[in-house]
Amino acid sequence: MSDIPNPAAPIADPRGASLLVQDGRTKRRNAAEGRFKLYGIVAIAIGLLMLLTLLFTIVSRGTGAFQQTYVTLSVPLLEEKLDKNGNRDLAEIKKVSTFGYAPLTKAAFETKIAEAGIETSLKPKAMADLLSKDAAAQLRNHVLAKPELIGSTVEFEFLTNSRVDGYLKGRVSRESIANDKNINAAQLDLVDALIADGSLQKRLNLNFITGADASDARPEAAGMGVAMLGSFAMMLVVLVLALPIGVAASIYLEEFAPKNWITDIIEVNISNLAAVPSIVFGILGLAVFINYMHLPNSAPLVGGLVLTLMTLPTIIISTRASLKSVPPSIRDAALGVGASKMQSVFHHVLPLAAPGILTGTIIGLAQALGETAPLLLIGMVGFIASNPPESIAEGLMAPNSAMPAQIYEWAKRADPAFYERAWGGIIILLVFLISMNAIAVLLRRRFERRW
Amino acid sequence: MKDTQMLEQNVTNHPVKIAARNVQVYYGDSQAIRDVDIDINDKTVTAFIGPSGCGKSTFLRCINRMNDTIDAARVTGDIRIDGEDIYDKRVDPVQLRAKVGMVFQRPNPFPKSIYDNVAYGPRIHGLARNKADLDGIVEQALRRGAIWDEVKDRLHAPGTGLSGGQQQRLCIARAVATEPEVLLMDEPCSALDPIATAQVEELIDELRQNYSVVIVTHSMQQAARVSQKTAFFHLGNLVEFGDTDDIFTRPQDPRTESYITGRIG
Repeated sequence: MSDIPNPAAPIADPRGASLLVQDGRTKRRNAAEGRFKLYGIVAIAIGLLMLLTLLFTIVSRGTGAFQQTYVTLSVPLLEEKLDKNGNRDLAEIKKVSTFGYAPLTKAAFETKIAEAGIETSLKPKAMADLLSKDAAAQLRNHVLAKPELIGSTVEFEFLTNSRVDGYLKGRVSRESIANDKNINAAQLDLVDALIADGSLQKRLNLNFITGADASDARPEAAGMGVAMLGSFAMMLVVLVLALPIGVAASIYLEEFAPKNWITDIIEVNISNLAAVPSIVFGILGLAVFINYMHLPNSAPLVGGLVLTLMTLPTIIISTRASLKSVPPSIRDAALGVGASKMQSVFHHVLPLAAPGILTGTIIGLAQALGETAPLLLIGMVGFIASNPPESIAEGLMAPNSAMPAQIYEWAKRADPAFYERAWGGIIILLVFLISMNAIAVLLRRRFERRW
Repeated sequence: MKDTQMLEQNVTNHPVKIAARNVQVYYGDSQAIRDVDIDINDKTVTAFIGPSGCGKSTFLRCINRMNDTIDAARVTGDIRIDGEDIYDKRVDPVQLRAKVGMVFQRPNPFPKSIYDNVAYGPRIHGLARNKADLDGIVEQALRRGAIWDEVKDRLHAPGTGLSGGQQQRLCIARAVATEPEVLLMDEPCSALDPIATAQVEELIDELRQNYSVVIVTHSMQQAARVSQKTAFFHLGNLVEFGDTDDIFTRPQDPRTESYITGRIG
């Protein structure tokens, strides 16, 4: 390009020229360098702009999910409805389903409106529709946790319907509900009156971080918590399997294995495996772990095994790179004082390579944490309404989802309220990924040694 | 100035420690060492000199089987230490290397404390029964490495924080801590300044009391200063081997003469 001399141009004669004046060639070179720098700055600026747009979009759309609209009602927990025999036997109380609680919440709502002196033409049924379909279940869970409350009247914060929530968040307006059969203008009038009364308000929604997914009809009750536990269980499997297998394989390949065509082939194939689309690992997991080994569907254990296969090449490559970066003089020094090969590796090489290995492992884990495609094939993507697992074994074996799979699941549902939750889920996922990467950087800084 | 001292050095012939016969070394297809026969005496400093790539380091690394770590290297022939063939199948190179210590071209302390650097060898070979024992071994090794006075107050400072010359003496101390019988030095001063070099050379002369020292060097002055015996290698052949005085004053082979007078190399 600019370095190729133009044969038509006269041959420069630098002798005798002043250093204070740039000759044509120098000017062209400087201009080329200036342009190149400019391209670089423009490229970085575009990149930064994209990143900022992305972050801004995620934050502006997702933060809503961390808030939820609640209405505070005082509910009389009637003994004759909830515990007919009056013996507070938990097994008997559990027999009362949410249908037994629904009239209580409905009555409480009516009482509230009457007490607040709000005029409305709505029928009690339409009033109660402002509450979430999950309200009765909420109350039931509360009572089951504290059966001694039966017989008293409790102040309780009920979730409202996602349309009411959307109205408070600005997603639903009086214009947009024209064709919406879930809510009408009269109901919104009631909402306005309740807001004025102070009993209906938005507040922090911890349930989004700790709760389980909810069905299509109740987006306001959906949470990320159980999917998060599913992801944790998978990361546990990946860490326990991929780290030792990966590190052992790399140490063997790098330090002990003879360099011949077999190890060459293995090496090439490990690099190739790192580039295999993750869905291929998914179908492999389906064939091997579920169809052949008959491990349960949708289990984080299977997800973890699949992600282990996917992460291993990453860990092996980064571990080998960090083993390679340990200067051979250290190995010589150890061998020179009569250490065995294994002693030289474990006493000297491995500690020096540890920061690199840890960083590689964490990056591999972070990659696995954000992986969705292989989970599609082993049944971890979909509506999996599970309760938080009670033990590690259950956490590994019981059907569950994972964070990115949960986000995908919400994003494909029809109700716009789920859309907000998908963005909120992305915020949680990103917080995890950023903190894992930060830990990787910190470890590297902390343990990096110079020699 | 030291050249005059050289003439005063009394070459008493100690018993043969290392005997090599018909040694050939191949790196893949190319032959790096041809037909080397040499007898290295105990309690003597033997210098290997010769131009770059002449095989002197390669031959040195045969003596403690460090060439085993290079996949392509292949050694044939017979090298005996105290009459025992070190390439015998029954010989474990790890045990051999405890007996034949090595100091490398570039100072390569472990990125650990000075104490741990020296204590590492004794620890893995089980030379110390307890902490006090180990402390004693470390102190003695550092004294033999002529570095004790400089580091005795900071034994737990990192070994990599020392200056180049100190690091090299630390490496020598580390090598002598395992009580080897032979000490191999592969251009130990090539990364050092003249003052550090002088210190290390002085040290080599003292080490002669206890060990058979084999030193590879590029500097003919250094060979003349520190060694009693000198071997001249050229293109993989051992051209001439004899008393240092003779090699430098009355070389038998024209190639040796050319090299020491600076015409080849």
